[in-house]
Amino acid sequence: MRFIREFPIIVALSFLFGLAFTGLVLGPVFASDIAQPSAKLVAYTPTEQAGRHIYVREGCVYCHSQQVRNVKADQNMVDAYGVSKAGDYYYDLPHLLGTSRQGPDLSNEGQVWGKASGEFAREYLIGHFKNPREYNPQSIMPAFNYLSDRELEELTDYVQSLGAWKVTPDPTEAEAKS
Amino acid sequence: MTTSPVSTSTSALSPSDDRLNFPQTIAFPALERRDYAMQTWLFSGVFWMVVAASIGVIEAVKLFHPEFLQGIPALAYGRLRPVHVNIGIFGFMSMGYLGAAFYMVPRLTQTALYSETLGVLTAWAWNLNLTGGVLAILMGFSKGKEYEEMPFPFDMMVGLLEIAIAGNLFSTITVRKEPRLYVSLWYILLAIIPFPIYYTLGNVMKFRGIEDAIVNWFYSHNLFGLWLTSLGLATLYYIVPKQLNKPLYSHAISFLGFWTLAAFYPWNGGHHVIWGPVPMWVMSASVTASIAMLIPTIATMVNFGGTALGTQGVMKRDISYRFSILAYLSYVGTSLWGSTLAIMDLNAKLHFTSTTIAHVHLGFVGFGLAGLVAFVYFYLERSLKLGYSRTLAEWHFWLTTIGIIGYVTSMGWLGWLEGSEWAAGNSVQGVLELRYWYNVARAGSGGLLLIGQLILVWNIWKTMTSPPSDGAGLDDLKSVSLNEGVVL
Repeated sequence: MRFIREFPIIVALSFLFGLAFTGLVLGPVFASDIAQPSAKLVAYTPTEQAGRHIYVREGCVYCHSQQVRNVKADQNMVDAYGVSKAGDYYYDLPHLLGTSRQGPDLSNEGQVWGKASGEFAREYLIGHFKNPREYNPQSIMPAFNYLSDRELEELTDYVQSLGAWKVTPDPTEAEAKS
Repeated sequence: MTTSPVSTSTSALSPSDDRLNFPQTIAFPALERRDYAMQTWLFSGVFWMVVAASIGVIEAVKLFHPEFLQGIPALAYGRLRPVHVNIGIFGFMSMGYLGAAFYMVPRLTQTALYSETLGVLTAWAWNLNLTGGVLAILMGFSKGKEYEEMPFPFDMMVGLLEIAIAGNLFSTITVRKEPRLYVSLWYILLAIIPFPIYYTLGNVMKFRGIEDAIVNWFYSHNLFGLWLTSLGLATLYYIVPKQLNKPLYSHAISFLGFWTLAAFYPWNGGHHVIWGPVPMWVMSASVTASIAMLIPTIATMVNFGGTALGTQGVMKRDISYRFSILAYLSYVGTSLWGSTLAIMDLNAKLHFTSTTIAHVHLGFVGFGLAGLVAFVYFYLERSLKLGYSRTLAEWHFWLTTIGIIGYVTSMGWLGWLEGSEWAAGNSVQGVLELRYWYNVARAGSGGLLLIGQLILVWNIWKTMTSPPSDGAGLDDLKSVSLNEGVVL
């Protein structure tokens, strides 16, 4: 071990990396809005969780984001559903925020095609999963016709849960929104 | 410089006595050929590069013709996309540039690689593990977060193998015969040392909700910034002075570039969630660091630019050098673009659009692929002393260049249009028609890139199976430190 000149380099690099680690990894642990669920947020039911697993497995997240930002591009969604907050994702593991919008944002899909719309919304979602181009000829979404009926039901349960908690516990508020 | 203990005979390459040599006792004679590890890594990287490009083209076609290969679960877009990315990162870029690192380290340290056997075995284990990992994703076992999709045990294995690789390279650096550390070795140290920390953090640890997202992008951006970029820059810093046969423009500037990169890059992760549901200070820190990345970018720009000034003659003559220049320009372009995208107002418009895809591909193809290819040609010609087909290489260069320009302009411009449409209140469904021809152009550019890389593979194959020529300016061990100029 004659040449140890790399050790000062390693110490300095560790220090710089450690700083960022402290800031970006340890810091958020103590951020209160991350550690608390949003008011009214409910945990996923077992079928919703199963649907979420299918969502992960089929890579839906690569085309569909799940975050509404307070920016001009999201203005319509902000007006309709509000801006996404850290606490909204309390039960999400893994997170599915997404980085691209090849397709629409789904964070409030449970209000767009929600349970409140009855069987019609459910049939639409399942039909759309199986063959999106039947509903929108321009759609480039893959046809998930290889999913079993049960998987389609679970996926639908999950999609209908997205953002639905914001309105369902209080029906009067839902009316006011619409 | 002349006082350095430059070794002049191969006897200096035998294991010295002052090292912990237990792992070296496990040595298979068949694997103990010099540079065998480096070749295994490098050519595996080239193989995965072609695989990643092929999958990319299939995906690109699906984006305008979704019926293409429809109905096969393993070939659905959402499963191919993580496979494309994981092969791009862990196959093509990691393996290719580790090949370059396994080449550079023994030469810059004037020391034989700690263990060729370990190097070759880790390369094959890495190949097998990656194959297993991507098959698992295709079969539906994805972990679901970007760049960490490979499930257990394949994810753990990447971390463990990296420790073995880092140990191999680090041991070589520690027992080196050349006391000075050239800037390439600094970048290699930066690449190999923190990797297990953020890799394990990203892949194995479980966090909740938004914290999961922040850690996800802390990991991802370190993977690009500290692992891939460092290995890539190390390679460019090594080959460019040799291609030009003159020292670097300024070692002080490389020093500045290195330390500012090491200081600011690890903070960049949060810029993936600008305007997202994360604490404001995560955003502010990341935006600041992303814009501060202008310092290392400009340092690298000036340094390589200064070195390359007035070398048009070499550029015409040496295709390998031309690829280096392409990599350099793309690196500067990607970095400046990245810093710009972190400006909050611009990010509000361009986040979620195809601009991100253009940006990533300028980095991976423009910088990553061109830099690796520059090294491959350099290696064939200057180290193996083989003459590759000039005509095929010219075709390869122009197809690659046109492919990159076509890809980046089509996606970049499409992203701008999408951002403008969305800011004006249009929906995602409303831009589907607009996207069509841009996506066709993207698939076409990707096709050109793929054809170019197939030409490269053909050229390598033909070259490796042909007899050696007696080329000039060979990169044998003797000439190494003579060309480096002053080392840090």
